[in-house]
Amino acid sequence: MSDNTNTNTNATDADTDAAVDIDVDVDTPDKYATAPRSPEELTSDSPFTLPGFFAALDEGRLLAAACEDCGTRLVPPRPACYDCGSRNLKIERQPETGTVISYTEVRTPPPALADRAPYTIAIVELDSGARLTGRVTVPYADTEIDMPVSLSIRAPEEDERAMALEHELEWPIHEFEPA
Amino acid sequence: MTDPRIAAVGTSPLGRTDLTGRDLFSVAVTEAFEGLPDPAEIVDAIYVGNQSESYEHQIMYGTLMAEWCGLRHVPAERVEGCAAAGALALRHAVEDVRSGRRDAVLACGVEKMTAGGTAGATDALSAAFDRATEQRSGVTAPSQYALLAQRYLHETDATERDLARIAVKNHKNAAANPRAMFQRETDVETVLDSAYVSPPLKLFDCAPVTDGAAVVLVANEDVTSTLSVDDSVRVAGVGAGANNLSIADRNLTFIEGAHEVATQAYDQAGIEPSDVDIAEVHDAFTVCEALLAEAAGLAPRGKGYESPLAPEDRSAGWTDVQLSTSGGLKARGHPIGATGIAQAVEAYEQLTGTATPERQVDGADTALLINEGGVADAVTVAHVLSAA
Repeated sequence: MSDNTNTNTNATDADTDAAVDIDVDVDTPDKYATAPRSPEELTSDSPFTLPGFFAALDEGRLLAAACEDCGTRLVPPRPACYDCGSRNLKIERQPETGTVISYTEVRTPPPALADRAPYTIAIVELDSGARLTGRVTVPYADTEIDMPVSLSIRAPEEDERAMALEHELEWPIHEFEPA
Repeated sequence: MTDPRIAAVGTSPLGRTDLTGRDLFSVAVTEAFEGLPDPAEIVDAIYVGNQSESYEHQIMYGTLMAEWCGLRHVPAERVEGCAAAGALALRHAVEDVRSGRRDAVLACGVEKMTAGGTAGATDALSAAFDRATEQRSGVTAPSQYALLAQRYLHETDATERDLARIAVKNHKNAAANPRAMFQRETDVETVLDSAYVSPPLKLFDCAPVTDGAAVVLVANEDVTSTLSVDDSVRVAGVGAGANNLSIADRNLTFIEGAHEVATQAYDQAGIEPSDVDIAEVHDAFTVCEALLAEAAGLAPRGKGYESPLAPEDRSAGWTDVQLSTSGGLKARGHPIGATGIAQAVEAYEQLTGTATPERQVDGADTALLINEGGVADAVTVAHVLSAA
């Protein structure tokens, strides 16, 4: 049996101070590049908030909070690591390539996306170990586990805007296409 | 501190009905309190598991259900955790009584899922998934579980036919359960021939959209002994915990959250998995029964799909547990917020020997309940109930 355990970590031994190699995103201002330690740092400009995360995604940068203590990559970034509890996090740009871990086809969609069905959904593990669910741009029959894919970002289309809340209207849509 | 007891149970009809949520609750309470004093004479607090306000455009179910059974000026809360809401409500009641803070608490669940049709239910259930990444990608409940099923079939020897056998077994159990939504058997070919909802899951792999309510009265020994009830069951162990909201961040084929909470409940009860006689697990989709049997230590890794087989025909490492004797979510029905309570009702009947003879497990004296919310173990609750 192969293992689908999230490989989203660089740490091989929790008892050692594993030096986690984090490639801090150069386009994130320094004051937002590490996890917030005061409430004032949590503005919509910070990628530790969803508006900040989607603003970066709109510029083509998928950002994670990378845990300095255990190496887990958190997408979207949030102020603490779910895996080890640490708040020592740095914003890291994620690779845009990965592989399909699992996939399916939505045949009965949420009402707002009725005209779009059927469409393919996959869980993708990026080359950093971070995982993300998203639509795949090809039919279910053309998708398979371990298939290499790349991330693509686009503006929301009419039906996607129709299902968006007011604060989500400009947030881009991420998809995966065969690499 | 004494172990709380479940002293009385009731359910509404499960399925599509012309009754509203509060009416369904009234039916369940009326059954539970048949021959008992008024709820107001016994009940110190009420917790109501409920998934979504979108079905009836109603929140405040705690207040509403309290009022509808004659209670006022008692703590009353709606408990939310998608499909785990019922067991979360039960857990609150159990913890209240176990701590000595209260003598008797009503744990309930109610859902009027059919109110918005399939589209309404699809939309309401999708709210359980991460808005930022999953909902915006158009995931649905069946597709989320299909991601688990696809990976499970990839990693194990299980086939779609094996999953179909789980549905067949649960329909057979439901056919013997007067409370069940689908009191009819099916066969493997019917399941395999049903349409894909989200491949590899087909219509007959999926629990139905269900209206329903369920109620259990959780009381300490003093209250239970003063009630003229024939029997009661003991809540011996409880476990609860959350995992990541997004399924992408979790192990897809070992349901860690269920493993954790089942272990907590076993430890509190002082039992091993092999002591469990019957288990009501969260078979919202057939693959869940396999995954949860493994997570709860009832089956070896990768072999949970053998749950329909007789114990002697299963792989080494399986216990002799019987799963989903009620018919499970698949065939008893899955009124989301009420499901965790409906599971307790089945355990009550099995442990008190009052299940119908066709589904009564001989000598059943220990039951495991696992109730999940969100996809898989986003939140999971386990209870161990004992006849003793």
